[in-house]
Amino acid sequence: MHTTFRRRRPTQILPAQLALAGLLAAGGIGGCTSAGGSDAGRGTVLRFGSAVSLTGEMAGEGKLTQDGYKYCQDVVNAHGGVTVGSRHLTLSISYHDDESSPTTSARIVQQFNDEGIKFILGPYGSAATEAVAPVAQRNGQIVADSAGADNTIFEHGYTQVFGVESPASNYAASIIDAIVYNAHRVPRSVAFVSADDSFSQEVARFGVEEARSQGLHVFPLITFPAGSTDLSSVVTRVRAEHPDLLIESGHLVEGIALVSQAAQLGLRVDGIGETVAPTDPGFVGSLGRLADGVISSTQWVDNWPGKGPYFGTAADYAEGFRAAFGFTPAYHPAEASAACLALVLAIEHAGTTDPRRVTAALSQLDVDSFYGRIHFAPNGQDATRTMAVVQIQHGKPVTVWPHGLEQAPLEWPAPRAP
Amino acid sequence: MAGAPSAVTDLLQALVDGLLEGGLLALVAVGFTLVWGVLNEINLAHGALVVLAAYLTWELSASAGLNPLLAGLTAIAVVAALGYALQRGLLNLVARAPVLLPLLVTFGAGLLLRDAMVAAFSSDDRTLVTAYSLSAFRVGGVYLPVLRLWSLVLAVTLTTGVALGLRHTRHGMAIRAVGMDRDAARLVGIPVRHVYALTFAAGAALAGAAGAMVAAVGTFSPVSTDVYTLESFVIAVVGGIGNTSGALAGGLALGVLEALAGQYLPGELVSAIAFAVLLLALVLRPQGIVGRARYSARVDR
Repeated sequence: MHTTFRRRRPTQILPAQLALAGLLAAGGIGGCTSAGGSDAGRGTVLRFGSAVSLTGEMAGEGKLTQDGYKYCQDVVNAHGGVTVGSRHLTLSISYHDDESSPTTSARIVQQFNDEGIKFILGPYGSAATEAVAPVAQRNGQIVADSAGADNTIFEHGYTQVFGVESPASNYAASIIDAIVYNAHRVPRSVAFVSADDSFSQEVARFGVEEARSQGLHVFPLITFPAGSTDLSSVVTRVRAEHPDLLIESGHLVEGIALVSQAAQLGLRVDGIGETVAPTDPGFVGSLGRLADGVISSTQWVDNWPGKGPYFGTAADYAEGFRAAFGFTPAYHPAEASAACLALVLAIEHAGTTDPRRVTAALSQLDVDSFYGRIHFAPNGQDATRTMAVVQIQHGKPVTVWPHGLEQAPLEWPAPRAP
Repeated sequence: MAGAPSAVTDLLQALVDGLLEGGLLALVAVGFTLVWGVLNEINLAHGALVVLAAYLTWELSASAGLNPLLAGLTAIAVVAALGYALQRGLLNLVARAPVLLPLLVTFGAGLLLRDAMVAAFSSDDRTLVTAYSLSAFRVGGVYLPVLRLWSLVLAVTLTTGVALGLRHTRHGMAIRAVGMDRDAARLVGIPVRHVYALTFAAGAALAGAAGAMVAAVGTFSPVSTDVYTLESFVIAVVGGIGNTSGALAGGLALGVLEALAGQYLPGELVSAIAFAVLLLALVLRPQGIVGRARYSARVDR
């Protein structure tokens, strides 16, 4: 079959193109435009962007972070959206998977900038946040950092990165304090083991300082490659030192491997403390009863004091989140929602989506919330935020520190699996 | 404390840890090297098959309540069947193409499998907890975790079994014949396409066995796929391409090197030192630890 295509003459196309371009320039098509952060944003949608880890090494924590952002969006929109002056904007968060690669996180944030999105919700982890921060600073984007706690992020002079989490220096130090002030038999020595990534080593370094200041004997730090699933040589080295306490600084995979192999290789300590891993639902899910007794620090618990806009109290947040997602939130979703909340409140306080004025509003933000007080130091870090300490008891994380928040006494020496 | 570890005990423990971890690594690599050696296919989906078997074992055992051993055997059968179908239906189409094309096909298949696992099982790390997860023999001050010991025993048994099977069984000889000369094998009546698929299925079954052990002794997630493929690649090259005994030797060597490095060196240097030693071994013995001088003629000294 022979088909003939008739070419339209340029004079027929041009008027249509011009008309379409004119309509687009006026921003009138469909009646829905977006405010990604420019002064010109007069639309009905407020766009945030986030590079989250949905695949790769950090996928577990990344998914929890995304859940926190999603819940924030749902709750804010259920309350009528973000009030900017006289307008009510619907919050819309765009997500791109960074595949647990900091380089990809940075590329995605650049892409958001190219799309006109100036408000960034932070990726999961210090490495990714460190990669994103200079890109955002260069582009005039604002990063509401929910999970980049490494102190070094805030030592570069960035003016547009605001972290809601307690600094890395508190992660292991809080565990030490909780044990020293609660244990019936105070440990005399501690061994620190750490993954070789920057955040984990920073956490361990501050933990060592705190342990020494509390008068504990500290064995030389043992490091291992981040992401290791075989820590038998680490356990063997610790076993030779006979510490009373073992503290691991790492992430979920290493945390599971350490507890499992410590039991297999007959490591006898009064207790094991780990950062990050034990509060992840996958920790107890993977280890079962073996997880009992492990101690960890946390950015938030569901009886955290404070009450604020959109989410109410910590208990209200936990109940609402559980109804929406079907599981009890630990700190990862909560800190993500808190970062989103901080950005929303700053925009409302500024009364505009102009990034410069929103940055100023964030610098001056001082509000109470379900996450406690949100207030940033001049370097963008929430340096005053403390951490709570939990212990896995009967398969559930139970708050044991600080006083006033504890749900049960610290079991010490920690119970061993049968 | 009675039986307190001494420096000698620590060294022995590190060696034992290395051998046990090496056994698991060898188990992961033996199927990879078999497929590479016979079919000349670098199977980049190998790690995905290992992790798929781990997930199937976990699901059948932890979720469906099947005995872990039966769950593992079922996972092996499923992964072997998938391997057969993959070779017969897809890879046979490019069997005569330059090595890069099958490489790309297996790379794509691996990505598909990995993403399918993310969709089906999520990216959460899992480990299978059984009644004997914590069991360990103690000899002097040295601990031998039972499940890791089983993975070493399984690696030795399967490696020996595959080597004997290739030499002394009808199917094994057919596989070797096809590996030596595909056209000559066809002339003497060997169904080459079936033997190709059978070889790939055998490699997948070995990946399945490794996956079942990974589920029991380690932590796994779809992220692990790339790690297992890379480790298999290294072990195959170091041990001697196509040589199942070489996979065992390479796995054990890598395991012991990493364990000793982990025992005595900072964590940042563990992988670097282990791989530096392996590189040195390859410079001195390019055909691999127990490989024939397959590539030695190409070495430009």
